[in-house]
Amino acid sequence: MNRAKMHRRNVTRLALLAVMVLVAVVFYLLVNSHPEKPKLFQYILSLRLPTLLCMIIACISIGAATLIFQSIVNNRIVTPALLGMNSIYSFLHTAAVFVLGTGSTLFLNANLAFAVDLLTMGVVGTLIYWYLFKKTGHNVLYIMLIGTVLSSLFGSVQSAMIRVMDPNEYDALLGSLVADFNNINGEIILFATIMLLVLAFVLRRELGLLDVITMGRNQAINLGVDYDNVIRKLLFGVVLCMAVATATIGPVSFLGLIVANMSRQIFKTYKHSHLMVGASLMGMLALIGGQMISQHLFHFTVPVSTFVTIAGGIYFLYLLLFKKGAY
Amino acid sequence: MIKQICRKSWFSTFILAILLILLSCVSLFVGVMDIDIPTLLSGREGMELKIFILGRIPRLLAILCTGVGMSVAGLIMQQLCMNKFVSPTTGATIQSAQLGIVLSMVFLPTMGLGMRTIFAFIFAIIGTLLFVFFVQRIQVKDTVLVPLVGIMFGNIIGGVTNFLAYQAEVTQQLSTYFSGSFALILKGNYELVYLVAPLVILAFIYANHFNIVGMGQDFSRNLGVNYNVILILGLSISAVITASVIVIVGQISYIGLIVPNLVTLFKGDKIRGTLIDTALFGALFVLLCDMIARSVIKPYEIPMELVVGIIGSIIFIIMLFYKLKHGKKAIRWGGHHRKHLHGAHHGRHHHHRRNKEVGICE
Amino acid sequence: MNVVDLIKSYGSKTVVKEVSFTVPKGKVLSLIGPNGAGKSTVMGMISRLIARDAGVIDFEGQDLTKWKSKELAKHLAILTQHNNVQMKLTVRELVAFGRFPYSGSRLTPEDNEMVDKAIAYMELQEYQDQYIDELSGGQRQRAYIAMVIAQDTEYVLLDEPTNNLDIYHATNLMRIARRLCDELGKTVILVLHEINYAAFYSDYICAFKNGRIAKFGPVEEVITKETLSEIYKVDFEIMNIGGKPLTIYY
Repeated sequence: MNRAKMHRRNVTRLALLAVMVLVAVVFYLLVNSHPEKPKLFQYILSLRLPTLLCMIIACISIGAATLIFQSIVNNRIVTPALLGMNSIYSFLHTAAVFVLGTGSTLFLNANLAFAVDLLTMGVVGTLIYWYLFKKTGHNVLYIMLIGTVLSSLFGSVQSAMIRVMDPNEYDALLGSLVADFNNINGEIILFATIMLLVLAFVLRRELGLLDVITMGRNQAINLGVDYDNVIRKLLFGVVLCMAVATATIGPVSFLGLIVANMSRQIFKTYKHSHLMVGASLMGMLALIGGQMISQHLFHFTVPVSTFVTIAGGIYFLYLLLFKKGAY
Repeated sequence: MIKQICRKSWFSTFILAILLILLSCVSLFVGVMDIDIPTLLSGREGMELKIFILGRIPRLLAILCTGVGMSVAGLIMQQLCMNKFVSPTTGATIQSAQLGIVLSMVFLPTMGLGMRTIFAFIFAIIGTLLFVFFVQRIQVKDTVLVPLVGIMFGNIIGGVTNFLAYQAEVTQQLSTYFSGSFALILKGNYELVYLVAPLVILAFIYANHFNIVGMGQDFSRNLGVNYNVILILGLSISAVITASVIVIVGQISYIGLIVPNLVTLFKGDKIRGTLIDTALFGALFVLLCDMIARSVIKPYEIPMELVVGIIGSIIFIIMLFYKLKHGKKAIRWGGHHRKHLHGAHHGRHHHHRRNKEVGICE
Repeated sequence: MNVVDLIKSYGSKTVVKEVSFTVPKGKVLSLIGPNGAGKSTVMGMISRLIARDAGVIDFEGQDLTKWKSKELAKHLAILTQHNNVQMKLTVRELVAFGRFPYSGSRLTPEDNEMVDKAIAYMELQEYQDQYIDELSGGQRQRAYIAMVIAQDTEYVLLDEPTNNLDIYHATNLMRIARRLCDELGKTVILVLHEINYAAFYSDYICAFKNGRIAKFGPVEEVITKETLSEIYKVDFEIMNIGGKPLTIYY
């Protein structure tokens, strides 16, 4: 298949995906929404719309972050979430509350708190993973194993801090600190959107280099890329994207893995522009669909993230074991 | 020098035992209520004696059994799989046992602790065996890949457990039940952990067999050891130990992973020689963690699990960096079994490391 | 290219010790030596993939570190032995990456012409729309060389290019290296394990031992019984075939 034909094919597929997402959005908003009772209808929409927007923002961040990250590491089964970026974010958020106190004015304003979180996450996250890359010489298996352990470490520290803050109200506090599907953080939608746009603008040159970065360090340097510098900036972008995703809908560990790899399979291209859009759209499809199933089939008892974990885990093992050369 | 002394004699065992006894005594007198020896001996204060017998002593015994059990379970698994990074945490044992418990809660809610225990045993054994056979069947070459597969395997099982728990609306109940803590240990509800003792003795008897099986199927056949029987026996022992700890104390990760490794660093790889030290050190480690857990936010307690999780994961990361840096040269990693582990030398070395001959995938 | 007093250490071990040499322009230069002699590290440093601890690498009148990475990519191309690209990439797309230093991701008609030429030069026309992970090792190596040709640099550096290739493909590759020099006028630097390939296809040889240059000079001067026995610690016989010294070792 030649280039032009492939390009056309991929554009068609993207369009098809977009239409499917649109249909899902409409369904999500309208199913069981009682349009015959305007008051109720309005109320239901006011609940569903923020959730929807949060999911869309999160999917864009996760899709972009995962693909960028995979290209940086030059590996298709590593995702930022697997490496614990979610837990680091939750940890930093809790740590900020821990240091400043629950009653601090900072945390009464969701946007202000988010800004503080982004700042700390941007610095701390980039430092940690940069160090990890350097120290392991980009050895993927070690990065993954250390990442998973880091993720459990930060989880433990976070829980411990919550216990220390309030030994009696442990569960309630945990729920209020960390966003999840049934507890999305609707207040920061605008901020998060602006954040993503700014990020895309600031990193526009580096994003253009992604196709070359994917060839690996040696090739990238050979082709004249200022490698270390570019990688650091991209990593910073990934960390912030993950922060946005975690802040809005909470940790969904395997979503990025699934959508990034499916996107690669469907589009069979190296062009990141197509891959990223595709991954984001598939993420939306999965989350919106999953949310509908969770709402209407399980009546909110089982959160979407549970399904994603099971499916994603199996998929991950499959990649790890039967796709030789994937790591 | 110190290493030589440790390896050659029973010196380390002796030191560890003394330390353990000392710390155990200290631990008995740490708690919400201040109890000192004179009041205890005077026999006048009935209340304090009660706390002592009903609370403190069971707690201490539970701690010791947990420490001994989990670290020995880890050691057995590592020997059998010939991989330093396998353990109940990284081999899906813990999650399988939890799945068993949830299943018994969901389907046989009226049956009590007994049924739960049996379910936990069965599922822990099945899960561990599945994992090990799976890893052996597909011949995972990279040492570090094995724990990664195990963690993911555990994640999936954990996901299923969560799903069931959500469905049956027992998530709240579970989160308290599963969080590893000695706070609720009282006389009468913890005696099951004593099961650890005979199992550890059994492990000690079969220690050499485990060593041989770890060297591979052909090797054991050559020496007339029934590979499959011993493998299943060993894995079952560690699964049952793990499961009984989970039923009584809750989930406690990383002990089985890091304690045997720390001991091996000094004592070498022969399981007979390290088993007692591992057991003692494990008990000591848990005891220390428990004391930390009790003293940070007095009069409250942080769950033990968190303390072990924090300390354990930090040590594990240090271990990984250590291995990454020293690779082949590591003092005792792989020890005399090195040949067996050489499968994966074609690792993905980073370009500039090539000439250094740093084998990162030993 | 002028290399002066190059030093590189890993931890306490110095793998390259005060190495100096001048690369003859428009010739084929092979770096040989036993394992761990430092030849690949030197290659890494002169191709800027590895940072040096000390020394000067003067490239076209300017130190290598002073060059802008993108500008340097138009003058010097390096092909390392590990190229496991993870993405779905066709041969043509790979070769097109060679034009990246010139026009980024948007190819001009001239770029496409260069890509066509490179593909034709490596006789890859029939494979150009296949994915590189579906090719055989030899074909893939040729695709990478085509990319380097498309990069259109005066200097071409190949780090153990014959590794993992069978005799047919390895010999082919060496012929290509020779042709790059003879037909396209490039300066070719190779790291080789096979002494005979080095002897047969190079103009100059730089032999390393223990991080130092044991001998540098035209092929006939380096490929001698005494020098090679000294470097490799095995017995050598030198034969003369087609005017080239070839070695037998046992």
